[in-house]
Amino acid sequence: MELASQDAELRAALFRFVDVTPACRSLDDLARHLTGYLEEVDDRPPPIQAAMRMSGTKPGRAALGAAAAAGVRHMAHRFIVGESPKAALKAIRHLWDNGAAVSLDLLGEATVTEPEADRYAARCLDALETLAGAAPSWPERPVLEADSLGPLPRVNLSVKVSALTPLLRPEAPEVGREDATRRMRPLLVRAKELGAHLHIDMESVDTAEATLGLVFELLDEPELRTGLSAGVVIQAYLRESPQQLEQVLDWAAGTEREQPLVVRLVKGAYWDHEVVDARQHGWTPPVFEAKRDSDRNFEALTGRLIEGWPHVRPAIASHNLRSVAHAVAAARELGREDRDVEFQVLRGLGDDLAAALADLGHRVRIYCPVGDLVAGMAYLVRRLLENTANESFLGEQQRGTPIEELLAAP
Amino acid sequence: MSTVAEPSAGFRNEPILELRRAPARESLLEALRELDARLPLSVPVLVGGERGPAEGLDSTDPGAPGRVVASAGRAVEADAAAAVEAAERGFRDWSARPAAERAEVLRGAAAILRERRLELAALQVRECAKPWPEADGDVCEAIDFLEYYARDAVALDEGRALVQVPGERNTMRYAPRGVAAVIAPWNFPLAIPCGMTAAALAAGNAAVLKPAEQSPGSAGALVDALHAAGVPREALSLLPGYGEAGAALVRDPRVHVIAFTGSSAVGLEILRASAETPEAQGHVKRVVSEMGGKNCVIVDSDADLDDVVPEVVHSAFGYAGQKCSAAARVLVHEAAADTLLERLAGAVRVLDVGQAERFATEVPPVIEREAQERVRRYAAMAPALASSEQPLPEEGWFCAPTLVADLPDDSPVLSEEIFGPLLAVTRVRDVDEACDVIDALPFALTGGLFSRTPATIERVAARLPVGNLYVNRGITGAMVGRQPFGGNRRSGIGSKAGGPDYLLQFVEPRVVTENTMRHGIPVE
Repeated sequence: MELASQDAELRAALFRFVDVTPACRSLDDLARHLTGYLEEVDDRPPPIQAAMRMSGTKPGRAALGAAAAAGVRHMAHRFIVGESPKAALKAIRHLWDNGAAVSLDLLGEATVTEPEADRYAARCLDALETLAGAAPSWPERPVLEADSLGPLPRVNLSVKVSALTPLLRPEAPEVGREDATRRMRPLLVRAKELGAHLHIDMESVDTAEATLGLVFELLDEPELRTGLSAGVVIQAYLRESPQQLEQVLDWAAGTEREQPLVVRLVKGAYWDHEVVDARQHGWTPPVFEAKRDSDRNFEALTGRLIEGWPHVRPAIASHNLRSVAHAVAAARELGREDRDVEFQVLRGLGDDLAAALADLGHRVRIYCPVGDLVAGMAYLVRRLLENTANESFLGEQQRGTPIEELLAAP
Repeated sequence: MSTVAEPSAGFRNEPILELRRAPARESLLEALRELDARLPLSVPVLVGGERGPAEGLDSTDPGAPGRVVASAGRAVEADAAAAVEAAERGFRDWSARPAAERAEVLRGAAAILRERRLELAALQVRECAKPWPEADGDVCEAIDFLEYYARDAVALDEGRALVQVPGERNTMRYAPRGVAAVIAPWNFPLAIPCGMTAAALAAGNAAVLKPAEQSPGSAGALVDALHAAGVPREALSLLPGYGEAGAALVRDPRVHVIAFTGSSAVGLEILRASAETPEAQGHVKRVVSEMGGKNCVIVDSDADLDDVVPEVVHSAFGYAGQKCSAAARVLVHEAAADTLLERLAGAVRVLDVGQAERFATEVPPVIEREAQERVRRYAAMAPALASSEQPLPEEGWFCAPTLVADLPDDSPVLSEEIFGPLLAVTRVRDVDEACDVIDALPFALTGGLFSRTPATIERVAARLPVGNLYVNRGITGAMVGRQPFGGNRRSGIGSKAGGPDYLLQFVEPRVVTENTMRHGIPVE
């Protein structure tokens, strides 16, 4: 990983390899792809040169393919908590025992057909049932189970609207929204029955209108106003995120919800996609192009979100120490109890931060991807991109950038 | 003598509307409401500034054939002759203007189209049942052609650098050819006539435009914009009508260049007819002819099917498969075939078939009854693996988008251009076999490859004869300046539209060599 962070070309080669792994049919095929990508790297460090030499013979390729597959699987295990919700229970329990809650995220292929959307919905139901079956046996963890507004569900699942319909298209958001709504409603109803929390993730800007519209409409249905805990996401890298947050806060203040809406504030994981897509079309990118601007906006939205309590429950999802510290300070300054702000991190990337926050008595939730390696690859590569991006907080930290610099006001 | 400047210097593509934003969508619907109130438009025969009657030819809405979109004139042989005569006069004035001045006029026309872009997109929705994203893209492409060729013509006017030796001055410049006949199709009702006409005019020629009988409205708007921007009336005439006007233009001995885009049958007939060079004709005609295709997408075993399915579906069924670049066949590696077929079938079943004015519509009606009958005839030759499940609207020339697979090699569905929403999938042993299949086809317009192996991409790119190969993306939507567009083999003769070589077809090179020695004294 560190090797990859140092060299953009090499990093690209390894990402491309991780990306293609699930489609490779044999160890030989794996090795050919790996060397194919490495051949395009000009400046090859010695270990890579050794790997290239191995690929000259069939047994060499088999060995190289096996080593590469093991490497990818090893990396995937760092991020993916289990191949299925059932398989993940042990790891989830372990996290709970150690003072961290989780939100499960089901990895999968893109949804392009109705059966795929139905399968994803069925997997979501299975995840809810599986978690709800296991959760009663977990020990009491008061910090994770209540805030000053009342109890919090132990079971927490994140779902993607784009996986619930093959019909999401940016120029016709209502079509996809209706189709996703019809699969989302039973999930929300079941979550309510099981006392579970359902969090609706935000994806690229292309689906933002459909996603927010769906959330506002469904959560306003009488049956879903009571009992159910649900949440949405605000992406601080979006230029329009302040308006989106106001829209959410207005909605939350104006609706009769028994369980306040949880609002997860993130930086956003589709930066490259948004920038390239906008540039190719001649549009102004919908995201801040300087990381500093995203960081500054994140802090501003943190304050606004915490002000919105008790109509909303704030959840701050960042690996940036300054963003996290700022949220703690902002909450205290506004007179909130620590337990009224939740912190969220990604499995495999924010584990140390999660432990530290838990030690300090904060509620931490770890976003845990579940799924097999094949399904997880696209997700994994996206996480890797964020992790090794030149400007990412974790990347800088790994490279030894002085902490004062990392914590400077954006 | 300087070398030719980069044609793309300062050029940027007109941004398409951000249709993911509700206000952009609403602005188009508003434009459609305003347009509807003005229908039918009146499009007279326009010869050298003389307005003929606007009757004899009606264009209708393919989604509501009872709705007349434009009442147009019907140009006959005599109109073609008069238009060419006017063009000869117009040519003298227009060609005498400096290239930079002509370029400014064309850029002025681009500004007019930009100003009217919502209305022009709405017109395509009605006249050609082109869905909004494609209609908006078409208007942008028209603007791009004007901006691109305007710049390119100024660059071309500098001429080319030649080898120079003492006592001799060599120059190579380009002169316009004369009268250009532009014969345009309906599927890009503004962009294609605009591109061919703009190229002719930018290079200093006079033009006579004969648009497709299905889309005189868009052509009328184009000619209006060019005239309003300052193209002399005599240098640009408009001949709405049927084939007779086009055929007369092709035969006319005073025509120098013929720019055609359309079917293979007509294109080849134009080539034959234009090759007739009677004694009285003082030149040999130059023909630019963009014709059909049978475009194939290769899917390798390591392709990312999450990308392949939506890209192939959009390439095959967008605008009901009526783009020259549309995907007609998929050649898939046998290892990926079952999964791909299952996912493609599922994606075809949920395709949204409807009127072009709905933003949700992916597959609009085809252009006319004959097209509907043709598509249905081909669809009847092969059992459908999947079709859209939504009921077809009762009114309009709709065809259900259909996926077929594993057809016998001699099926006409695999070799003939259908120009409709029918996609055929064939399994191949490997990518090389797919290349063999494509190599055996007479057409070579666009092609696609989905593969994540660098060596495969390189090998296929070197091997395929297609004019435009798209790797790991859809195969439609060529952008001016970015993807110069045009086919090889029986798909076309002529260099790529929206590319650096296109204007060369509308000019003739002239080399001047001057002896600069005067009694032993070199004069520089």
